[in-house]
Amino acid sequence: MNVTVITKDEHTVVALRGRLDTTQADAVEKEVVEILDQKHSHIIFDCKEMDYISSSGLRIFLIAQKRMMATGGQLKLCSLQAGIQEIFDMSGFSMIFSIFPDLESALNG
Amino acid sequence: MGKHDHIICLELSNRLSELANIQEALEANAERLGVSTAMLMSLNLVVEEAFTNIVNYAYADQEQHTIAICINRNDQQLVITLTDDGQPYDPTQNADPDIELPAEKRQVGGLGIFLIRKIMDKVEYERKDNKNYLILTKNMTQ
Repeated sequence: MNVTVITKDEHTVVALRGRLDTTQADAVEKEVVEILDQKHSHIIFDCKEMDYISSSGLRIFLIAQKRMMATGGQLKLCSLQAGIQEIFDMSGFSMIFSIFPDLESALNG
Repeated sequence: MGKHDHIICLELSNRLSELANIQEALEANAERLGVSTAMLMSLNLVVEEAFTNIVNYAYADQEQHTIAICINRNDQQLVITLTDDGQPYDPTQNADPDIELPAEKRQVGGLGIFLIRKIMDKVEYERKDNKNYLILTKNMTQ
């Protein structure tokens, strides 16, 4: 999995590309925690090119959400592929994240 | 033989690096197993969660072990069987996480078995000849 960070106005956009499976989870968690440590107030995870997730990946999203809530920051997700949206629905994650259909609406929402 | 009868079997060692081989085998056989692209991801997830649990929790020693995964497809069902020689462990006894809790109260982890149960129609466990058998069944519509 490839993690890229870009800044758009007050938003820090973290693009996740590839598969977020058990073998990738530790490395991705480390990168995400480093981003969270920088205490950005608005973070968007752009999942447009994330084409697989398992429970080890879901765990990273939950860690991020807990951290952002604790510090009063705002976390948004956008562009989830259909299969991934389904996994979010099953796990109840659709209710605990602000999910937007695309990056544009996440930036403006 | 029905038109969908097909079986694939993998013998893997108890290392997480085998997940790449699982993915490859599923992708290569998706069409023969009658699995759509959308379903491929959830089946990959099911096998990954079950396999990862075995690798991480079944063995008290540091030895190499073999974990067998067989996927059996007939006209009505797709059946995934994972067999390991680890300690007895029945994941069907796990309590489901409460998925209606707000983020701050959600437990980090514990979703693997839950997702297997949500995706598959039947989850069964057997212990025989000192082996664990996890049998996961998905009903397939024609």
